[in-house]
Amino acid sequence: MTEPARRTVVSAENLSKTYGEGALRVEALKPTSFEARAGEVVAILGPSGSGKSTLLTILGLINAPTTGSLRIGEVQVIENALPRTSLERQRRQQIGFVFQRSNLIPFLTAEENVRLSLEIDGVNAYESRKRARALLENLGLDKRLLSLPAKLSGGEAQRVAIARALIHRPSVVLADEPTASLDSSRGRQVMELFRDAAHAQGAAVLVVTHDHRTLDLVDRILEMEDGRLTERARAPGAGRSPA
Amino acid sequence: MMDLAVRDIRHDLGRFVLTALGLGMLLSIVLAMTGIYNGMVVDATVLPDTLGADLWVVQRDTKGPFAESSRVPLRLAERLRAVPGVSRTRSYVSFNVQRTGVDGRVQRFMLAGLSWPDDTGDLLLLAQGRSLRAPHYEVVVDVSLGLPLDAQLSIGRDVFSVVGITSGMVSSGGDPMLFVSVADALNIQNDLSNEALRLEGEARLARVRRSEYGRDPASLARAGQPRLPALTPPPVNAVLVDVQPGQDPVALRQRLEQWPDISVYTLEEQRALLVRGVIDRARRQIGLFRTLLVVISAIVMGLIVYTMTLDKMHSLALLKLLGARRGVILRLILEQSMLLGLLSFFVALLIGELLFGHFPRRVLVADSDRLALAGVVAGISGAAGLVGLRKALSADPNQVLAS
Repeated sequence: MTEPARRTVVSAENLSKTYGEGALRVEALKPTSFEARAGEVVAILGPSGSGKSTLLTILGLINAPTTGSLRIGEVQVIENALPRTSLERQRRQQIGFVFQRSNLIPFLTAEENVRLSLEIDGVNAYESRKRARALLENLGLDKRLLSLPAKLSGGEAQRVAIARALIHRPSVVLADEPTASLDSSRGRQVMELFRDAAHAQGAAVLVVTHDHRTLDLVDRILEMEDGRLTERARAPGAGRSPA
Repeated sequence: MMDLAVRDIRHDLGRFVLTALGLGMLLSIVLAMTGIYNGMVVDATVLPDTLGADLWVVQRDTKGPFAESSRVPLRLAERLRAVPGVSRTRSYVSFNVQRTGVDGRVQRFMLAGLSWPDDTGDLLLLAQGRSLRAPHYEVVVDVSLGLPLDAQLSIGRDVFSVVGITSGMVSSGGDPMLFVSVADALNIQNDLSNEALRLEGEARLARVRRSEYGRDPASLARAGQPRLPALTPPPVNAVLVDVQPGQDPVALRQRLEQWPDISVYTLEEQRALLVRGVIDRARRQIGLFRTLLVVISAIVMGLIVYTMTLDKMHSLALLKLLGARRGVILRLILEQSMLLGLLSFFVALLIGELLFGHFPRRVLVADSDRLALAGVVAGISGAAGLVGLRKALSADPNQVLAS
């Protein structure tokens, strides 16, 4: 394992989330601590309603936790209660998002959807176009650069979404069921893309998934049940080591 | 940063253009109302402006021929001409005529008398032909009447030859104006049927019989002649007075006001009477209608921008999730609103250029009106953009994760 791969890029301590008060109080996320290192692909498993989405929205700096602290990269993003504008900056610089549906902006071409992640952070059009084209060509989408999302297949759209999540070299990629709408073969391709990107960019990839077919491609598995996160022990040799 | 507003418009260009067309049509009505409003003022004042007299002398305690009935003796013009400081006087008479043309269509126009030979109509805005050269049976008509030069026009018992055609000479009601000599105009106005003439002659004979002249056979014979003038010369509506160069019209007016049988107005006062009096209700009605249309346009545009924003809520939520600054969203919504307003504005201008000339009444749109409309559209677009922006900023990034 290379040196950057060992760096801790996500560090959560005692994160919890509670909704409502009194009799209506619901503890969606019980105090949870975990770390993710650069180059790691971590799967988060759990049934519906177990708190996976709550954890994802907290890690994605969309919702604030009730308690706990969170560090992404070098920035203590939660404990310091960063203002809204700083959270936005952390989101566009440190985090990449991938969803079950590609969630591409329908009026932008594949290339523009990828460029968007760079340009909202102030990268100029020439530079963003160059980087977006290079990444999309790497993902085998060189003939689809100018296609609108409606003209892309499910797999192509998801690869564009992954390119959008990776183009700005985030510290962490949060993926919510990214293979759920793909067949087995395409699902594996997507997970392999995550692995390659994690290793190449030194990012931690946290994948919320129900898809057990691709678990052999992840480095660690965290299980979530009733708002509590636990690490599943793996058989020796299970999963792949980073290349 | 790429222009998201333009890309969104490009994605559904047909819908955007159709929306702008619809909004442009609405704005063109606002522009038309402004033009009709201006046209009404010009129509109302084109006659006094063209005749260009310094003073209008009318019947005492009346507001003049455009506001109410005014009758002054035909010889008043001669009395006024003798006043020091007066350079020229012209009798003026006008009245509305409605007749059925040879094609069966109803023609309505205003007939005005020119004080021939002092005024042959040289001041009229002639587009074709010439002014009057004879005291009788020649007429200058406005182009909106649709008659060519040398056409024969039958009015009353006489047939007139069209010798000149004006452009834009209409009454305050928008009807075309016709100009004949005052003598012809009075003949037409006071024309009596054969039956009326016969009855008038008999009445005159009866009066003479009852008087001491009835005992004189020669007087009785003269009274029975049909050609004998029955009445004093018919009155005219006003006398137009031109002041000698260097003379003060206001001072002259003050002198004339001392006469017991007349009222005197300056040209400006006559114009003000027309604008604030004769067409005031129509003017205010159009003004209110125009205001209402602006409000409706603002509401419609606000709803359109709001709907356009609703259609993009998922994309806006995604932008927020990706960490886009508020400025990115603000630019997207406001730019679209402004582009919609801009395109609608140009559609309105284009419709105006193509259609306003075919309106039955004068539609006069000045550059200042176009500029004012541009300002109104910018204001409406800004307000509509703010409505959309308020909605856009409420987009929740959680929506993306939940979808």
